[in-house]
Amino acid sequence: MEIHSREYLKRAREGGDVRASVTGATLSFDARRRAAYAGVAAEEWRVWAEGVKTHLLTHLDRYLEEAETRLVANGARVHWAGTQEDVHRIISGIIERRGARRAVKGKSMLSEELEVNELLEKRGVDVLETDLGEYILQLLEQPPSHIVGPAIHLSLDEIRRLYHETHGTELDATPDELAGVSRVILREAFLAADVGITGGNFLVAETGTVALIENEGNIRLTTSAPPVHVALVGIEKLLPRWSDLAVFLQLTARAATGQPVGNYVSMIHGPRTVEDPDGPEEVHVLLVDNGRSDVLADPEAWEALRCVRCGACLNACPVYRQTGGHAYGAVYSGPIGSVLNPGLAGLHAAMPLPFASSLCGACEKACPVRIPIPELLLSWRRRAVDAGMDSRAKAGLLKAWTAVATRPGLYRAAGGMLHALPDPVRRVPLPVVGGWREVRTDPEPSRASFRELWRKGIE
Amino acid sequence: MRERILERVRRALRDRPRAPHPGELSTAVPDAPPPVEHFAECFRAAGGEVRRFADADGARRWLYGFAARFASVSHGTGVPGSLALPVPEAPPREAALGVSVARAAAAQSGSLVLSSLDGRRTQLLPPVHVVLVDAGTVAGTLGEALAACRDAGGAALALHSGPSKSADIGQVMVTGVHGPGRVIALLLDSWPGARP
Repeated sequence: MEIHSREYLKRAREGGDVRASVTGATLSFDARRRAAYAGVAAEEWRVWAEGVKTHLLTHLDRYLEEAETRLVANGARVHWAGTQEDVHRIISGIIERRGARRAVKGKSMLSEELEVNELLEKRGVDVLETDLGEYILQLLEQPPSHIVGPAIHLSLDEIRRLYHETHGTELDATPDELAGVSRVILREAFLAADVGITGGNFLVAETGTVALIENEGNIRLTTSAPPVHVALVGIEKLLPRWSDLAVFLQLTARAATGQPVGNYVSMIHGPRTVEDPDGPEEVHVLLVDNGRSDVLADPEAWEALRCVRCGACLNACPVYRQTGGHAYGAVYSGPIGSVLNPGLAGLHAAMPLPFASSLCGACEKACPVRIPIPELLLSWRRRAVDAGMDSRAKAGLLKAWTAVATRPGLYRAAGGMLHALPDPVRRVPLPVVGGWREVRTDPEPSRASFRELWRKGIE
Repeated sequence: MRERILERVRRALRDRPRAPHPGELSTAVPDAPPPVEHFAECFRAAGGEVRRFADADGARRWLYGFAARFASVSHGTGVPGSLALPVPEAPPREAALGVSVARAAAAQSGSLVLSSLDGRRTQLLPPVHVVLVDAGTVAGTLGEALAACRDAGGAALALHSGPSKSADIGQVMVTGVHGPGRVIALLLDSWPGARP
């Protein structure tokens, strides 16, 4: 994981498109989420969902075994993968055995985390992303910038220009026309593919069922048309019971897009049975750890494993709304990424993400499983400071500030001194705050201090 | 690898208090409209179309008229013989119209529950999809509908809650992206023969 946030932010400030597109999309997602929460007993649902996920996580070993037993009974093949290398080895094995040359993919954040497309390309497999947003990003060779709307950082005009260059459509083509062009290409791909690869929103242990949520139908086709389906499922994605699924499907959709439920939900128990007229002959379910058991062992960070990847915290976040997801430089962006990445990739690699937040708390209020994201951000910040990973200059400055602010006499004297300073002296370049001042206007100090105004009586 | 991962999980949970399952949560609301009317309202809100008929005769009359403008049809394996269309049968990838049968439906989320036993390609590839629904199988909540289908057999179940849609291109809603652009639920108050 590499962080290029400074460079990216500079670009985001200069090119207006990213900011306008991201702000517009997230405000609209967030408004729909609020309306959808208001339509149901959202508080009751959220408390319940938190409870189910907490139960699941504190009994995870048992449910993993139960899920495996059920899946195998359904005819699916279960693979356990500790690391990215394990995942690559397992997928390579399936590809080689089947002689697979063509793959279609449904949107999966876990496949981004595990660099599955890179593996497939290296193995000489033609791989096509089939979610419209992901397909566009594959043409642009960009990673997704949002968990649910991977291409929300792109404007209609940017996509029109891209299709004009890659598919020869008119520069004023309508979204319907652009979708139509994609549909023709991807329809052929679904029917010709040797293998379909997806993630998994949920895996119900009791019945051995992988559940996938979407709107376009590309995941339905990815899991129905090719002869082999491979589902990548993080070990934290389990649900204990079949009766849990209905509420999680509705809560996730309401949190993500404000819909009562995703337009299409695939619930896959296993490969086609003798009674099924079509469907894949092989279904492989990969149970992927890749750092999750480390996060589970962490007495604070483990709460982030309740995440259902709805993206509601991204849409609610005043920082994400300005920057978009690429600024975070990691697969999982936004508030949840800032607390997940340090656990999954290591705090050092994830720096400075825990600091990329104003701690306003909007993320926690939006979260359908009530993850205390601000608390977790503070926890990672404390660890970063303790480990000396944060800027020493900033730590020194804060220490000095604390020393002054906790001594009223000293505070008064320092305030008076600041007022007495002539303007040019206040404008000299300062360490630490330099980056802050680069993009902001200095505040104009008031003529009188608050204490003086208070003494005189505030009008 | 299996044992290694399970061992890591067990070690992680060694000192963690075990939380109980909070029990089943019903999303039913006391003043909800009758399920069939409520389903129609919610399915339409998501862009789906709904027709309701007293019996197979009414549904057949409408269906024959509707199907007249289609050159070919793909029938799901569960479509009752009395409702099969007199239109040339074609494989799902070529058919202009797909006709399926729902296992159940959920009013609150406006969802049709479809089974892989009926044929997944028929449900997905034709641009227009007609789904026959026994009105007696329309449940109030999604939880009730899924409970009824728990042991339905087959490799997979699916929820279809409206036409295929996407807002990935510049946040503009387009329909018929990969799945059918039109989906029509035909509700039959009286179902011909055994329940789907």
